[in-house]
Amino acid sequence: MSSSQPAESARDTRNADVRIRSFCSAREIGLLKFNPQFGAHAQYKSLYTRKESLEQIAAQPDANVTLAVQADRMIVGFGVLAYPEPSERWAQLQPQVMAEVKAIEVARDWRSKKVAGRILEKLTSHRSMEEKIAYMVGYSWTWDLDGTRKTAQQYRQMLIRLFEPCGFIEYQTNEPNICLKPENLFMGRVGQAVDEQTIQAFKWLRFGIDP
Amino acid sequence: MRYPKEVVLKDRSEAVIRPLQKDDGGMLSRFYAAIPDNNRWYMRHDVTDPLVIKKMIDSIGRGNVFSTVALVGDRIVAHASLLMRGHGSTQHVGRLRIAVLPGYRHKRLGTWVLLDLIQYAMDTGLNDLRADFVVGIEDNAIESARKLDFFKVAVIPEYVKSPRGIRYDLQIMVKRLHRTWADF
Repeated sequence: MSSSQPAESARDTRNADVRIRSFCSAREIGLLKFNPQFGAHAQYKSLYTRKESLEQIAAQPDANVTLAVQADRMIVGFGVLAYPEPSERWAQLQPQVMAEVKAIEVARDWRSKKVAGRILEKLTSHRSMEEKIAYMVGYSWTWDLDGTRKTAQQYRQMLIRLFEPCGFIEYQTNEPNICLKPENLFMGRVGQAVDEQTIQAFKWLRFGIDP
Repeated sequence: MRYPKEVVLKDRSEAVIRPLQKDDGGMLSRFYAAIPDNNRWYMRHDVTDPLVIKKMIDSIGRGNVFSTVALVGDRIVAHASLLMRGHGSTQHVGRLRIAVLPGYRHKRLGTWVLLDLIQYAMDTGLNDLRADFVVGIEDNAIESARKLDFFKVAVIPEYVKSPRGIRYDLQIMVKRLHRTWADF
């Protein structure tokens, strides 16, 4: 994934001042400003509150950090695609087939402007994704219900509507953390070049069964 | 919600969960015919009666009942229903009924079917789910419900009678469908 060239787009966002840029390098991120809304709120804390965290991920092999950047070089949205941590269930599928959408976040003032959809599209549209199984895990306790004024179930539906256009579908899994709450969500996108054996192994993995 | 939902059971067998369909009548009759008499006894309706099955099929799409089935191949192995009043003081409550073929119990199928209906109930905006169990007869189901945060709200002592006249307690369990994660 990281062998790709950065790609940029300013289309489809309602505000043309926002550019969506994928495969950002740590150096590029270092030159940008981080919107202070990515921080701690009364009942919500952003997954990444420091720009340096994005820089560290961008330096990882095959990671894709996609940013929504305002004209004044302010980051107003970000998406992170990277391999799962070795300790996670999803890392068991080898060789490194699974890639996690670890975060999609847009600053509160920039929401409802279709920024997240553009970030996700950039994050998952690279041709190498056809050889991968991309997935997302939605833990309801990480959602900004206060800022969006949504219930957990409404937020869940919003995530499904966000991810489905990019080819993600909801899958069942017995992964214990996901099963903690029925509103939690697990979605995946199986690339067209993924072979049947890997698809079957992914199924076993979802239910914690050794092949 | 996305259907069919594919699940893998403890013994590696695979089942598919989907809504009950208009042409499922025959399969549903065969499913209930395979449920032992001593299980059917505790069900709310005589499911061996073709009219009862017809009523289940006729209720599809009418709004007050949402039913799903779990299939292995072309055989129904579980049937679940969420019953909603749709008006009045208990319109926020959904009542659950689940039946699983004996050969598919203790394989987590009931849990998957229940979890699916919980998600459906949340999508439809219900606040509470209620399920009634016969203590001493449906203890495994009580335990499964408890693991999904159902809790005991009432017990009606010696309310249910077995075919031989032995009385059992009826336990009413409720699950609150929280709208935020603040309960966590």
